[in-house]
Amino acid sequence: MNKGKGRLALIAAMLAIVLVVGACGNNGGNESADGAEETAELIWYTIGTPQKDVTAVMDQVSAYTKEKINATVTMKMIDWGDYQQKMQVNVASGEPMDIIFTSAGGFDYVQNVRKGAFLQIDELLTEYGQGIVDTIDPGFLEGSKVDGHNYGIPANKELPQQEVWRFNQNLLDKYDLDIGKVRSLESLEPLMATIKANEPNVTVFGMDKNHVPYVPYDYLITNLPMAVKLDTDDYKIVNILETDEMKQALATMRKYYQAGYISPEAATVGSTSDLTLSGNWFVDRAQTQPLADNQWSATYGYPVVSTPASDAIITNTSVQGSIMAITANSEYPEKAMEFLNLLNTDPVLRNMVDSGIEGTHYEKIDDNRMRNLPEAKNYDMPSYSLGNNMLLNLNENDPDNKWDVFKEFNAEGVASPILGFNFDSANVSTQMAAIQNVKEQYWSALMTGTVDPDEYLPTALEAFKQAGMDEVITEAQAQLDEWVAEAK
Amino acid sequence: MAGFLKNVMRNRVMLLMVLPGAAWFFFFSYMPLVGTIAAFKEYRFSRDGFWQSLINSENVGWRNFEFLFSTDAAYIITRNTLLYNIAFILIGLVFAVAMAITLSEIVNKRLAKVYQTGMFLPYFLSWVIVGYFVFSFLSMDKGLLNSILSQFGVSSIQWYNEPQYWPYILILVSLWKMVGYNSVVYLAAIMGIDRSLYEAAMIDGASKWQQIRNITIPLLKPIMIIMTLLAVGKIFYADFGLFYSVPRDSGTLYSVTNVIDTYVYRGLKTTGEIGMSTAAGLYQSVVGFVLVMISNYVVRRIDKDSALF
Repeated sequence: MNKGKGRLALIAAMLAIVLVVGACGNNGGNESADGAEETAELIWYTIGTPQKDVTAVMDQVSAYTKEKINATVTMKMIDWGDYQQKMQVNVASGEPMDIIFTSAGGFDYVQNVRKGAFLQIDELLTEYGQGIVDTIDPGFLEGSKVDGHNYGIPANKELPQQEVWRFNQNLLDKYDLDIGKVRSLESLEPLMATIKANEPNVTVFGMDKNHVPYVPYDYLITNLPMAVKLDTDDYKIVNILETDEMKQALATMRKYYQAGYISPEAATVGSTSDLTLSGNWFVDRAQTQPLADNQWSATYGYPVVSTPASDAIITNTSVQGSIMAITANSEYPEKAMEFLNLLNTDPVLRNMVDSGIEGTHYEKIDDNRMRNLPEAKNYDMPSYSLGNNMLLNLNENDPDNKWDVFKEFNAEGVASPILGFNFDSANVSTQMAAIQNVKEQYWSALMTGTVDPDEYLPTALEAFKQAGMDEVITEAQAQLDEWVAEAK
Repeated sequence: MAGFLKNVMRNRVMLLMVLPGAAWFFFFSYMPLVGTIAAFKEYRFSRDGFWQSLINSENVGWRNFEFLFSTDAAYIITRNTLLYNIAFILIGLVFAVAMAITLSEIVNKRLAKVYQTGMFLPYFLSWVIVGYFVFSFLSMDKGLLNSILSQFGVSSIQWYNEPQYWPYILILVSLWKMVGYNSVVYLAAIMGIDRSLYEAAMIDGASKWQQIRNITIPLLKPIMIIMTLLAVGKIFYADFGLFYSVPRDSGTLYSVTNVIDTYVYRGLKTTGEIGMSTAAGLYQSVVGFVLVMISNYVVRRIDKDSALF
């Protein structure tokens, strides 16, 4: 009997332990509250494959920031493919954090602003972020406003987006082709015909399922068909599939597909990296940035040249390519802003975060040039996501005027008419879910020329209409009209 | 109370064995039930954590459920989900039992183990990898099937653009992946059958086929019913990987590959409305629950001992 009681107590104890372990995930990280002198411990979530030496580097960074602004930094990296999902969970569950990476692509900036994930930083920016305001291109802060307020600090880098045709130069040279006259989709035809006739094993026009022919419109939401013409004067939102430009482009794509320029798999492949790695392609379309040709050639191991396919346009997507936001549940919003201010203005800090510890991960070759050391593989960070790029040291092969070229490129960018307008789809979320599904069904097949637009386009338009496209456009138009009226 | 404690005492070993499973269900199935409230909310973050967010978010009634039923797609996804799952359950049952019986009849036990392992293996592959296997057969310009067809002078088929083949392909692929795993349960049950029954049958001159029909299958029936009832409970859940990765998310195939899970994923991946995805999950659970109750009721009416409860 006695023995039995002991067992029961054991069961009870085990249950209790399980319960306690389960429940304690929620508290923690609440130690500081009073005393202005206390060091702020900032927690920073960012995107990228977790690096072995992050902690070591952050110790150095913390030592530096402690001295400058009395704050230390812990960086938590989440891998590319997981970032969106894990951050949804982290934010939804109220995990302690202060600064997080967000963008138009990963952990969507605008959507999460609307859901209340980030702190509104208008006042913080004037009080603690003056350095940022003075340093980064004003287009960034203007373009990343949502409903008139700032919620994050965009990284200072290339501001507009510009589409280019990229060519495999080996093939251009072999057949002595001139890309000087190339600009429109149609203008590619004679070149592609030559390659098709002579190189049966080359994929002439490389693309994956996300390919969309360029038309001079800016989309309200990337890859959904609501768009406004770039040279609009009445700010009318249209379904891109109903425009003459897109109809013509789709017909051309169909023609190219039937001529065998486009791979029959194009509508289902997720990436063209096997083509670019093998060099088995002739032309594709890509987004450019200054000096991109050099970078592509270096990455692929053979020369790549490009020529513009569009103007350089500043759009919401291009402005929101990389943003660091302060979370709504931040313990130290002021310190977080001070840190962001320092990160975007102080070359020492910015380069430490980017390249690691001097002498371990990299070495200086002169004042503003560096070379990676073998240890750099333990601290290989994506530069674009970590703040002001124009403070970065140059690599060995970069031209001296690298950042001047960027500034020039940024100055040439033309603002889209709807730059700064962010559609709030909350009122039509049911229709949006249906439209997404219709889009997924028809989009890739149409855009890659896999199906005949004469047959499929009417079906697709009908399906969009049924899914509630008209209501979405009406709602968006009302919001846009209001925004235009306010802006004027 | 005393009686209850006494009962606990007497069964303490059994209870202890149940404890890990019970704890698992408590934490991962019962506690999250509270989150079901999110299905009726327009979920917005609050700085004070999950509970505050849940409480403070605006009530929207049934609005989160509307997207599931708002278009023609509602009919297609429901039809696809149900029909495919019915096909998987029935065909899967037949093949798994047949496989288990065949394996149990193989005299060379070592060889039987090899077959069993071989058939078990696909179960451990992720759908993404299976998707690439299938792609190597069906790729339009480099695939095995199209090369074979061209050998015979048949023009190649655009597999990923032609919906009519896909119901068969999906059922075949699903069978290939799941049969080995499902047959293990039946194999274990067969091993548990009293050998003397077969011996008696053999003395009476029963053939192999008569033994199977009159001994093995009747004794497997309770297991078959339990397995089928459990599967019916999941009939509104489609295997996401099968319907997303294997057809390579090809839009032209949606009429035969779009199921509830892929529809929800595609509809919400950009907006990420937590309320709407919770609503979809709740809908699936409720329908699954109702279906289990109904089929259990039917089974109980026919054969009381075979019902789950």
